[in-house]
Amino acid sequence: MASEVNTKFLQDKRLDRIASDILRPVGVDRSFLIWMSSLSMLLFVCLYAYYIQLDKGLIVTGMRDYVSWGMYISNFVFFVATSLVGMLISSVLGMMGYKWVKPIGRIAEIIAVAFSAVAGIVIVSDMGRPERLAYVFMFGRIQSPILWDVTVVVTYMTLSILLYIFTMIPDMAISRGRIGHTPVWLQKTYEFLSFNFQHKPEQYKILLKAVRILLIMIVPTAFAIHTVTSWLFAVTTRPGWDSTIFGPYFLTGAFVAGSAAVIILMFVVRNSYKLSRYITVELFDKMGKLLFLVSIVYFYFNLNEYLVPAYKMKTFEARHIIELFVGEHAFMFWSVQLLGLIIPMILLLFKSMRKPVPMFIIAIVVLIASWFKRLLIVVPTMEAPFLPKQNVPDAWMLYHPTIVESAITVGTITMAVMIISVLMKLFPVIPIWEIAEEESAHPDQHPVE
Amino acid sequence: MILKSTFFVVLNFVAVVLLAQTTPWEVPADRSAKLSTAAFTDQNRNTGKDLYQTNCKSCHGDPGKNNVIKLVPPPPDPATTQLQQNSDGSLHYKISEGRGAMPAFKNIMSSADIWNVISYLRSYNKDYRQLLAVKPAYGGEVFDKVDLKLTADPTHNAIVAQLTGLKGSLVKPIAGLEVKLFAKRYFGNLMVDKPMDTDTEGKALFSYPKNLPGDASGKVSLIAQLSNEELFGLVRTESTMAIGLPTDRPPLNEPRALWNVVQKTPIWLLVTYLASVLIVWGFIVLALLKLRAIFKLGE
Ligand code: HEC
Repeated sequence: MASEVNTKFLQDKRLDRIASDILRPVGVDRSFLIWMSSLSMLLFVCLYAYYIQLDKGLIVTGMRDYVSWGMYISNFVFFVATSLVGMLISSVLGMMGYKWVKPIGRIAEIIAVAFSAVAGIVIVSDMGRPERLAYVFMFGRIQSPILWDVTVVVTYMTLSILLYIFTMIPDMAISRGRIGHTPVWLQKTYEFLSFNFQHKPEQYKILLKAVRILLIMIVPTAFAIHTVTSWLFAVTTRPGWDSTIFGPYFLTGAFVAGSAAVIILMFVVRNSYKLSRYITVELFDKMGKLLFLVSIVYFYFNLNEYLVPAYKMKTFEARHIIELFVGEHAFMFWSVQLLGLIIPMILLLFKSMRKPVPMFIIAIVVLIASWFKRLLIVVPTMEAPFLPKQNVPDAWMLYHPTIVESAITVGTITMAVMIISVLMKLFPVIPIWEIAEEESAHPDQHPVE
Repeated sequence: MILKSTFFVVLNFVAVVLLAQTTPWEVPADRSAKLSTAAFTDQNRNTGKDLYQTNCKSCHGDPGKNNVIKLVPPPPDPATTQLQQNSDGSLHYKISEGRGAMPAFKNIMSSADIWNVISYLRSYNKDYRQLLAVKPAYGGEVFDKVDLKLTADPTHNAIVAQLTGLKGSLVKPIAGLEVKLFAKRYFGNLMVDKPMDTDTEGKALFSYPKNLPGDASGKVSLIAQLSNEELFGLVRTESTMAIGLPTDRPPLNEPRALWNVVQKTPIWLLVTYLASVLIVWGFIVLALLKLRAIFKLGE
């Protein structure tokens, strides 16, 4: 992000074209209503599943004494992980001066907002007595990583929401008088969210300062959020979790999942919103390279995480490794490693695979694989306690998620999709002012038309 | 794959058959023939009920409701014949000794309390008629009350337990019976010296080590108990005496530690946590103030 804004773009003819392009899909139309009502119906079914869980307790899940962390906690880790991409794209790449990230900065922020907000809800789904959530604040211990986790999730969510709102202020002001086709309440919302912005240079100056503060603060917070999530596991001595590289291992895995999510949304924006002028083929190429980069780093951490214990084969670690490599979870393990990491990495080396359609498919597979990867981190360790499992019914030995539990998990994913849909459809999904400023600064590269 | 799953099905079947035929629980003949010396009264049953609720219900469930915990082998519901077919002595033995997931209660409850629980279990069996043990008499004598008293003799490092029987206004020493002495510790009782028989004056003499740790002022809680519970029921006394070494150790939960309560958070952690939270949220507030400035400028 530049430290100064050249406001001459406001007089540039290009602004009108950019604003009308980006604001055209904004608003409530038929297909949006149909989409949202289908999602609401799905969510309703899933909420019924949650009602069953509230009524009967966690016994309706597949979790028992040995496996007390199952799909919900895996899902939580997945949500936290995916949300981190907001920090990677807007802060790290943006502040390093990579201009190509400008059109997708807001998409990344939307993912950050939606996924971190739902992450908090996912955690509550793992509580048999959700009304006791307040106990965390009343009786929580600062010594416990769980309290740190609650703290950083809330902080990261706040920062992401603020960053989303702050960077949108000039767009809200630009949209004044340009969104006559949308409902009045939406126009009022825009007016409110523009915070009296008049494009005054001093206003831009203050805004850039505020955004800079947020961008800097979000870096340590994002690192903290996922490192602390990894510590929930790594501070125990259990095989598979007892690892010193769990923090960076989680963090790099998060970037893989998040980049995949951004690519999926980019594809949707490009095609459904007809914004291919801004979400260009070259942008997909760049994101393909980014996905490759984060994947190879993640691959490196995977190598360390599995090869080192597999070389030593300490009694309990060995049992865990065997379960993953050739045992109960081998099929899932190798599918995830191959489909979610190794094959995409090989494919992404080819330019033809970094085109929108192949990238879209690759990103979907990577994102699904990264969900299952979290399940593989949580469940096998839980199934293998140090003390022998004795005198218990067979059903307790291994974890088998139930329909209720799966439905609740689908519900949380539906919620995230709904938040993303609302933010993408009702507000400009590409930062108008940043694009306009960029184009008017380089008029030769961007002909008026 | 099919071969493997068939193999597991067969294995499972074998396992189930094996488990269903858990070896019968053998009770030594003398123990299974044992009977209570006292007739079960309503008071016994009520005490037994309370003991059952705290010690047994979590596994054996509510009698007659068959809501037992799922263990292999399962703990039987007390109202079933599987449990009720046991003789009183067998029940006493099984509860005392335990097996597998069934805990041994001999060190948790007194023998008399185990009889109380049995009297409660039996209340779910309409056909049960209690048989009483012939009460072993002490040399043909019957007392209204039996007393055990502890006195300390620090010069000889000795504790004297005095056993006396009271009959009307008559006070008689009871000789030839075994008494055990314990010092109360954090988790359970520590036996002091060997079990001793009372002499002709009804006295049992114990010697204690000089370095027996006491509390901050050297006090030790002592418990003396008559080994034979069948003669006079449970005869037991407790008294606190200053015979130990004063030990003034800070309680284990005194220092700040990771595992302690929140008020005892280690300072470094408290500072790190609060500083991080304050810094980040401070900047969030700063950003919000800037938002206000933008708003003001637009007016
Ligand atoms: C931790 C769970 C647990 C608790 C607590 C427990 N039991 Fe059991 N009990 C069992 C199990 C399991 C068995 C079956 C053991 C076997 O057959 O190997 C059993 C067996 C018994 C039996 C023998 C039944 C037979 O088949 O003959 C009796 C009697 C009994 N329990 C009484 C009690 C009483 C009285 C208490 C409380 C003072 C108690 N149990 C507390 C688990 C428990």
